[in-house]
Amino acid sequence: MTRPATGGYGMCLSVPMQIIAIDGFSAECEARGVRRTVSLFMIEDDEVAVGDFVMVHVGYALRKISADDARTSWQLIDEILAVTAS
Amino acid sequence: MTEDMAAARLWLSRIHELPIRESIAVMNVCGGHERSLTMLGLRAVLPETVRLIPGPGCPVCVCPEEDIADAIAIAMSGNATLVAFGDMLRVPMNASKDAINTLAGARAAGADVRPISSPQEALATAREHSERQVVFFVAGFETTIAPVAAMLAEGVPDNLSVLLAARLTWPAVNMLLQDPEAALDALIAPGHVATVMGAEEWRFIADTYHLPVAVAGFTAVSLLAALYSVLRQKLENRPFLDNCYPELVRPQGNQRARRWLNEVLEVVPANWRGIGVIPASGFGLRGVWQRYDARQRFEVLAAPRKRIGEMPPGCDCAAVVLGKRTPEQCRLYGKACTPPHPVGPCMVSDEGACHIWWQAGLRAA
Ligand code: SF4
Repeated sequence: MTRPATGGYGMCLSVPMQIIAIDGFSAECEARGVRRTVSLFMIEDDEVAVGDFVMVHVGYALRKISADDARTSWQLIDEILAVTAS
Repeated sequence: MTEDMAAARLWLSRIHELPIRESIAVMNVCGGHERSLTMLGLRAVLPETVRLIPGPGCPVCVCPEEDIADAIAIAMSGNATLVAFGDMLRVPMNASKDAINTLAGARAAGADVRPISSPQEALATAREHSERQVVFFVAGFETTIAPVAAMLAEGVPDNLSVLLAARLTWPAVNMLLQDPEAALDALIAPGHVATVMGAEEWRFIADTYHLPVAVAGFTAVSLLAALYSVLRQKLENRPFLDNCYPELVRPQGNQRARRWLNEVLEVVPANWRGIGVIPASGFGLRGVWQRYDARQRFEVLAAPRKRIGEMPPGCDCAAVVLGKRTPEQCRLYGKACTPPHPVGPCMVSDEGACHIWWQAGLRAA
């Protein structure tokens, strides 16, 4: 896989990440051991907290999602990457 | 078997139980959907009567040549650092043999061109090089453009400007459906565009065109659920708007993101590569934000230029994007045109049908 696990994965697909820390509109997020600073500027009022999962698109959290949905999304990404790598 | 696989099989068996007699053509608008369903091999397991047709949802594919030429001209002027989403660097335009025809080519010729994967990186580059102009070349749909609007709204340094090739998705679909030759029976609407703009934006397909439509996510379960929905709608002749991605998509979308879009940008007519100008289908900077418009900042763009073409000779991307041809029907597919040596934009982008089909191992007959 040549792409980072949490970015640049196409322009329409987004990846789920978990919030580790929040500082204003900026959140430290993690997925698969990769950490990234994610903007919460597009999240609607008081919606997220540390421990929540968010769908991240080009560095911006689009919306909070459940842990279950985050897991399903990652399974899909894994399946696609498996085909891409083969 | 995982829970999700079981759920996907259930949807699949329901689809197979449907009494489909005549062929039904379903357009999946989004390049991300095309990627998911091709990589998951969904076409092969569907009934033969169901045809899934990739649509115009690839922002890289529809970015007009003149915008790529503008980006190359700015980069080659030597007066600026040009940053762009990675895919854009390799998109070829139709130039004479020895002319530079990609941003990657400009970079190889010494221009300061850098791939990035988020607006934050554009911002960081501008802050790091405050003595230099930094231009962010942005091709994208609503999902990508809302973050760019949010970036501008949050405040950016004066040395950053944007070269917009931003598009709205639904007007292209609207245009496509106005074509009397469009033989489409149903549509699957893009999940992440709808996350930002709302599912309601796609209601016109059912209301105006009386065609079934469902918003889908990117997993097999969501895609198959949406497909089942539109097939049933079609068989019962009762088209409506369904939302099969409710975990992310609200009827009105993300209000905050839409506010940034409205505040910073205005909707303008825009040229789509290979398709032509579609009214009210692009974004331009609004009012005070125009000071961040690279087109107003760089004189090189005002210089007269030879008329730019549309697609490289022999490339069928325009027809592929409009769902009129499939990639393997292009004479160059897999021959002159492969991912390492792309002739047209559809072979470059992760969301281009040619690239996706080739990557999934689909070879021309
Ligand atoms: S295979 Fe290449 S040349 Fe043919 S339509 Fe696709 S991108 Fe264009």
